[in-house]
Amino acid sequence: MSQRDDIHRLADEEMMHLVQEGDARAFEVLYERHGGAAFSLAYRMLGNRVNAEDVSQEAFLSIWRSRLRYQADRGSVRTWVLGIVHHRAIDALRRNLVHDRRRGSAEGIEERFEARELTDVEVVRREDARSVRAALQTLPAEQSRVIELAYFGGYSHSKIADMLDTPIGTVKGRMRLGLDKLRHELAEVPL
Amino acid sequence: MSVERHDIQEENVGAYLLGALTGVEERVFERHLEECPVCSDEVSRLRPAADALPRSVTPVSPPPTLKTSLMKIVEADARERSRVARSRGASGRPRPLAALRERLAATGEALTTIRPQVAWVGVSLVLVVGIVTGYAATRVSSESGSSGALAAKVDKERVPGATGSLTVSGGDSKSGVLRVHGMPALENDSVYQVWVLRKGETISQSLFHVGRDGEGLGAVSNDIDGADAVLVTREQAGGARAPSGDPVLSVSL
Repeated sequence: MSQRDDIHRLADEEMMHLVQEGDARAFEVLYERHGGAAFSLAYRMLGNRVNAEDVSQEAFLSIWRSRLRYQADRGSVRTWVLGIVHHRAIDALRRNLVHDRRRGSAEGIEERFEARELTDVEVVRREDARSVRAALQTLPAEQSRVIELAYFGGYSHSKIADMLDTPIGTVKGRMRLGLDKLRHELAEVPL
Repeated sequence: MSVERHDIQEENVGAYLLGALTGVEERVFERHLEECPVCSDEVSRLRPAADALPRSVTPVSPPPTLKTSLMKIVEADARERSRVARSRGASGRPRPLAALRERLAATGEALTTIRPQVAWVGVSLVLVVGIVTGYAATRVSSESGSSGALAAKVDKERVPGATGSLTVSGGDSKSGVLRVHGMPALENDSVYQVWVLRKGETISQSLFHVGRDGEGLGAVSNDIDGADAVLVTREQAGGARAPSGDPVLSVSL
């Protein structure tokens, strides 16, 4: 059995030990596991494939160069990777580098790029995506709106307050209440 | 930890988890988390909801070229590290010339494979010279900054009474916080934008507003080692890709 096959059998957290030692093959497997989710998140936030590709590449290079900072007790590898992608996408949005942003209706646009056959894992992830979206839809509109603008739009709380002509304290309150309700809804969804 | 400080920071829990704080606010909140178990517990309690948000995204396939270009850089970096480790030999001490030669070779390869960063805002040398020259022609004065900070020069005609200073944080990748005082508050359709000027190019850093008291904070997030100056311009809300006019404030580095 090749070393690459061996790496594929490792759990993420075990594989990260190899990545932290500078093993490029382990990093390649890390990308294969989470690159799709990372690109999807970047695409959802930035609205086009070129910018999503740039941000994904920046994020994974950052992950490679700061690999020693990963701490297993602070969360899963996937959460860590997606957190870095999210921060990078926000940086890009706030630097105003993305001018053709398509927000809100991005889900429909994405469907055009889903041509290839789905693997079992992708079918499960797509079903998971629908469950989380369903949970989001149970939130009061004003709460889901601020979560959408903040998380996927990359807007700061003060900018959102300006956009919605709402006091900053109210915006922050809606963010917290929305996350609390989402947490309750997700706890009831079998994942 | 003061109760007052907790009351102020407590309402930032949701915004923090959603990435809706500015860079400076985020750093302040994270410092507060280190000393406040109440807020720390609340962040832990709500984090699973924030972590679930990327799962709501419909999966989209990345282009195969992304993996190819990424792995070229990573493999070049891994090779370089391996060569450098070997060049240190049994003594564990580096052989400077060999290590330098290998570093240059590996860096050259990485530079040719990396996609040009969209973070760079292309501004020609001519434009930058124009900005700097134009700015120099305006009446500026140097104001003293806070202790340990770099003082800013301000355009006395456009922002009379304003002062500013840049505090640079240490570490391998230097960043900074620009503090301004006495700056005029702008209308809703305008914003102050912070730039780093480096080798004839301007790189956008952050946007900021000032309150009625004229106080404001702008983050300088790029590594500013080797940069020439930090500039602040007035731009339309949302910011600009390149400075649209002369800076109202600058800090020479």
